Amino acid sequence: MRNLNAQNNANSRISNLTFAILSMLVVLVVIFTIASICVPRFFDINNISNLIAQQAEIIILGIGVTFLLIAGYFDMSVGGIISMAAVLSAYFCQATGAAANDLGSGLGLGYGTAIALTLICCMAIGALNALLVVKLKVNSVIATLGTMAVARGIAMIVAKGAQRITGLPEEFCAIGQFTIIGTINLAVVISIILLIIALIIENKTIFGRRIYLIGANQTAAKLSGINVDRQVAILYITSAFLAGISGIVMASRFNAGNCALGTGYEFDALVITVLGGTSIFGGFGSVTCAVVGAFILGILSTSVNMLGFQPSMQMLVKGVVIIVSILALRFALNKRNV
Amino acid sequence: MNLNRSISWKSTFKNLYVFSVLALIIIIFSSISSNFIGAPNITNIIRQSVPLLLVSTSVTLLMMSGNIDLSVGGILGLCSVVFSIMINAGSGYFMAAVLTLLLGVFIGFFNGFLVVRLRIVPVIATLATMSLCVGLGKLMSPGGIGLIKGLPEDIVGFGRTPFLLRLPISVYVAAAVIIVLVVLQRKTLLGKYAAAIGGNSTAAELSGINVVKTVWLLYVIVGLCAALAGITRTSLLSLGDPVTGMGMEMDAMIAVVLGGTSFSGGEGSVARTVIGVLVLMCLTAGMQVIGAEAYYQTIVKGIVLIIAVVVDVLVKEKIDD
Amino acid sequence: MSDNVLEIRNLTKVFPGVRAIDDVSFNIERNTVHCLVGENGAGKSTLIKILTGAYGRSDGTILLNGKEYIAHNPKEAKKMGISTLFQELNVVDQLTVEENLTLGNEDTKYGFLTKSDKSKKILEVLKSIEPSINSKHKVGRLSVAKKQIVEIAKAVASEADIIIMDEPTAAISEGEIKRLFRIIRNLKENNVTVIYISHRLDEIFELGDNVTVMRDGKHVETKPVREVKDRSELIKMMIGKTVIESYIPKDEKAEETLLEVKGLSNSKLHDISFNVNKGEIVGFYGLVGAGKTELARAVYGADKYSGEVIFKGEKLGTSTGKVISAGIVLVPEERRTEGVFTKLTIRENIPVMNMSKITKAGFLNSNMERKVADEYIEKLDIATHSMEKETAKLSGGNQQKVVISKCLFADADLLIMDEPTRGIDVGTKGEIYSIMRQLSTEGKSIMMFSSELPEIVNNCDRIMLLYDGKLKAEIENGTDINSEMIIHIVTGGES
Repeated sequence: MRNLNAQNNANSRISNLTFAILSMLVVLVVIFTIASICVPRFFDINNISNLIAQQAEIIILGIGVTFLLIAGYFDMSVGGIISMAAVLSAYFCQATGAAANDLGSGLGLGYGTAIALTLICCMAIGALNALLVVKLKVNSVIATLGTMAVARGIAMIVAKGAQRITGLPEEFCAIGQFTIIGTINLAVVISIILLIIALIIENKTIFGRRIYLIGANQTAAKLSGINVDRQVAILYITSAFLAGISGIVMASRFNAGNCALGTGYEFDALVITVLGGTSIFGGFGSVTCAVVGAFILGILSTSVNMLGFQPSMQMLVKGVVIIVSILALRFALNKRNV
Repeated sequence: MNLNRSISWKSTFKNLYVFSVLALIIIIFSSISSNFIGAPNITNIIRQSVPLLLVSTSVTLLMMSGNIDLSVGGILGLCSVVFSIMINAGSGYFMAAVLTLLLGVFIGFFNGFLVVRLRIVPVIATLATMSLCVGLGKLMSPGGIGLIKGLPEDIVGFGRTPFLLRLPISVYVAAAVIIVLVVLQRKTLLGKYAAAIGGNSTAAELSGINVVKTVWLLYVIVGLCAALAGITRTSLLSLGDPVTGMGMEMDAMIAVVLGGTSFSGGEGSVARTVIGVLVLMCLTAGMQVIGAEAYYQTIVKGIVLIIAVVVDVLVKEKIDD
Repeated sequence: MSDNVLEIRNLTKVFPGVRAIDDVSFNIERNTVHCLVGENGAGKSTLIKILTGAYGRSDGTILLNGKEYIAHNPKEAKKMGISTLFQELNVVDQLTVEENLTLGNEDTKYGFLTKSDKSKKILEVLKSIEPSINSKHKVGRLSVAKKQIVEIAKAVASEADIIIMDEPTAAISEGEIKRLFRIIRNLKENNVTVIYISHRLDEIFELGDNVTVMRDGKHVETKPVREVKDRSELIKMMIGKTVIESYIPKDEKAEETLLEVKGLSNSKLHDISFNVNKGEIVGFYGLVGAGKTELARAVYGADKYSGEVIFKGEKLGTSTGKVISAGIVLVPEERRTEGVFTKLTIRENIPVMNMSKITKAGFLNSNMERKVADEYIEKLDIATHSMEKETAKLSGGNQQKVVISKCLFADADLLIMDEPTRGIDVGTKGEIYSIMRQLSTEGKSIMMFSSELPEIVNNCDRIMLLYDGKLKAEIENGTDINSEMIIHIVTGGES
C-alpha cells in the first residue's frame, strides 16, 4: 500500500483546495462568458480594464481578511480602518494655517510622511484588535465591530462628518489616478505586488503554513510548539495595515479624505473571500480565492449596472451570492470526500 | 464556600453595574446642561428609544441562547419602506401594519432557516440577510436610494403625537411588548430553554429540548420586533428609509451587553437590557444637548461596546478562578 | 417480572481491525449495584456506549426488563430507562438546581412554567437524596460532587431503571465519596439498579453486590462480590496471565541522565520526582485519574507547575516551542483533537514541529517536503495511496503513525508518548512498539504513559506507578515482575 505513484483514485492527487479554486475559476469563466454574450458592451477593452482596476482595493483588503479567516478569526474593523486611513492621509498632508475653515487645514507634512503616519495609526487599531481578541479572548466578531466604530469614529471626528478635500498636495491623487495602460493605475500595481507577496507567504513560508495549522486545529498547533497568540496578533496588525493601504489608495482615487469611504467594505471583503472558496471554519482557503471571488462579484455587479438595474441591486446580489457559494462549496466538497 | 460568594458577587455586580452607569450618565449630563433633565428632552429621549428598545429586548433572548443577529437594522429599514409604500398606496394603517409585521416574521423565519437548517454560521447568515433586506429596501425606494416621502400627516399619530403623559402610543405598545418578553424570559419554557441552550447545549439536547425549534422561534421573534421597530421609526420620521436602521445591530449589542447579558449565552435579563438602552439613549441625547456634533457618536459607541465586552469577559474570568 | 433488569446476550462490537467486544453475555440483577471492572481496552467503555446509544452493536441482543432494547442515541436511552452520569457533567451551570432537575420535564400551563405535583415530587426526590442542596441556588455554585448528586436526582426523577456511573469518584473528596455511597445504597431501595464502573477496587468491595470482569473484549466472569476472596483474585481475573514475552533486558544499563524532574506539583500532581536516562524507555502506569496526562503535559511545558524540570542540564519552562527546540516532543493522548491536523494532508502534517528543515534559503521547499513525507510513509508503513490524503480519513493506527512521524521529524532526544496505542489495532500496535525499541537502541529516550499493563511490561526498562497524582513506586523491569503487586498499587493499595 505504498504506491505513491499509483493513481487509483485520481481525485486524491488534487487537493481539496485546488479543487475549490479550480471550480470557482470555472464559475468565473462561465459568468464572464455569459456576461459577454448577454450584456451589451461588456466585452470591451475599456470595460474590462475598468473591471480589473476596480478590484484592486477590495483585493488588498481581502488578503488580510483571508489570512485571519483561515486562522479562524473574523476582522470586521477593516471598513472603519479604510475610512480612518483615507481621512488621516488627507489630514496629515493638508496645507497648514490660513484656510477658511478647520477642514481646510491639516498638519502640512510631506505625503510620504503622511502615509507612514497613517499606516502606523492603522496598525495601532490592529494592535487593539489583537489585544481584545487574543489577550482578553473577546469574541472576534464583537471586538472588531467595536474597533470598527472606533476607527470610523476617528475618521468622522477628523473630517467633521464630511471630508477633507482642499489643500492636498499634488501627489495625493497619484496612486489612484495615475494610469499606466487604459485604466490600470498604480493601485492595481500595488495590489499585484501585495498579492504576490501574500502568495509567497502563504505557500512558501513557515509563517504562512502556520496560519493553516492554527486554523485547522489550534490545540494541536499549540502542542506542536506554535506561538498562536503572537501569530494571530501579527495577522490582525497586518490586516489593519492592508486596510490602511486600501484606504490611502481610495482617498487618492477620489482625491479627498472622505469619512464615508469604506462603508460596508468589511462585508464585501468577507463575501469575496468566502465566495472564492475560503472556509468560514478555518484551516482551508487561499488569497487566490479572494481574487477569484472579487472578480466574480465584480463581473456580477458590473453586469447588473450595465443591464440597467439600480445600483442597490448589488446588495441583493451579494446577499444571495454568499449564501449560494457557501452551500454549493459545502455540497461539492462533501460529495468529493465521501 | 468561596465559590458561592464569588458567584453571588457576580449577580449583584451585574445588577448594580448597569443601574449605576445610567445614574452616572444622567448626573453628568444634567450637571453640564440643565436642558438635559427637562421634560421635553426626556419625552424626546423616550419616544426615540422605542425602536431600539424593541430590537434590543428581543435580541436579548436570542443572545441568551448563544446566537447573534446582525440583520436587525436591515429588517427595520425594509419594513419601514414596505410600510410607507403601502400607506402611500392607500392602505389603511392597520392592514399595512399587519402585513409589515408578517414580513418581519418571514424574515426572522428565513434567518432561522439559514442558521439551524442550513447550518450557516449566524454571523454570515444574518449578514447575508441584512444585505438582502437593505438591497430590497433600496430597490423599492425611488431612485434606489431615496426616501419614501409624502406620507399622510397623521402617520405621526403612532410614534410622535402625545397620547398619555405626553408620550405617544408607541411607547405604551413597546412597554407591552417588553413586558411580554420579560415574562417570556422569566416565566416560560421559551426563556428557560434559551438559557439552557446557551449554557450547555449538549445537556439541553439530552434533556429532550428541541434546540432547532427553539432557536428558530427566537429568530422569528427578533424579526417581528424589528418589523414593529420599523413601523415606529417610519412614524417618528414621517419617512420610509431603507437605511434608517444601519448600525442598530451594534446599538442593540451594546445595550444587551451593558445590561449584563453575557455574550456567550446561558443567562441574561430583558429588564436589564431596557436599562442598557436607556443608558445608550441618554448618552446620545446628552451629547446632543451639550452641543457635541453628531459625528462624535460613532466613536463613543465603539468605546462603550469595547468596554462593555471587556468587562463581561473579565467578570466571567474572575468566576472561573 | 424477571429478576434481571438487564440481560446481555452474545453482544459483539467490531470496529475496523478491532474486536472491541466479543460475544459478551451476562445478566444484571434488579436493584443491585453491579460493578464493571477491567483494564483499559477491556471493552468496558464500548459496552457502556452501546447501552447509552452512542454506538450501535454488531451482533447480539440486550433485554431491558425482558423486552428488546435498542437505543440510537443518548436521548432515546434516557427515555427507555437508562441514564448515565458521564465524567463531563451534563448540567447547565447558569440555571438553578430546580431548573436543572425539571429541564425538559417541566410543568406548563399554556407554555408558562408552573409548579404542580410533578415538580414538587422531583424536588422531594432531591431532598430525600441530599437535603443540604438548596434548590434555588445556581448549579454553577455547587461543587462537582453536588452537581453529580443533582444529576442523580434528575435520573431518578425521570424514572430510570438503570443509572450508569462512569468513574464517579475520580473528582471528589473522601467525605463526598462516603455521601455518594450512601445515596447509591438508597437508590437500590427505590427500585433503581446502578451499574458502577471504577478502577478503585476497594470501592467494589465496599459498595458492590455483583461484579463483572472483562478482559480483551471478552467476558471473564460475573459473580457476587461476597464470593470474591480478595483484591488479588479480582486482579488475577482482570489481567489473566501477563506474558512477558517480548521484553529483552538491555545489556548495558543506561547511565547518563537526560531528564531530571524534581518536586513537580500542580493542581493534579503531588511532589513528583524521577529521572530518565539516555536510551531508556520509562513506562508510567496508572489507571484513570492517576495523573498520567497531567504529568506528561507538565514535563512538556503545556501546563503550569511548580518544581523543576531539568533537561540536558538546563531548566525548562512552560513554552512548548522552547521545549521542542531543547529536544522533547509529545505524542498527545487525544490524537484527533490534539495530535493530528485532521483537515490537512499527511504531507502537511509531518514537518510541523521542525519546519526549518524543509526550507531552502528561508522558503519552504515542496520537493524537500515531499521527500520527507515519502520517507516517513515508507519508514512507518503508513497505509495510504498518496501523501495528499486528508488525515481525517486515515484509520486510528495510521493517524497515530502520522503523529509519531511528526515527532520523529523533530529530531528529539526524548519522546513523551501519552497512550500511544489506545484504540489501535493489534498489528499497528506491534509496529509502534518496534519503532520505540529502535529509537531506544539509537540512544533516544522514551517516556511512555499508558493504562495498559501488558504494553508497559513488554516494552519498558523501568516502570513508574502512579495513583491519585502521586508517584507511588519505581520498579526495574525484569522476569520477576509482579503484575499483581503492580495492580495492587495503582488501584490504591499500599506497597
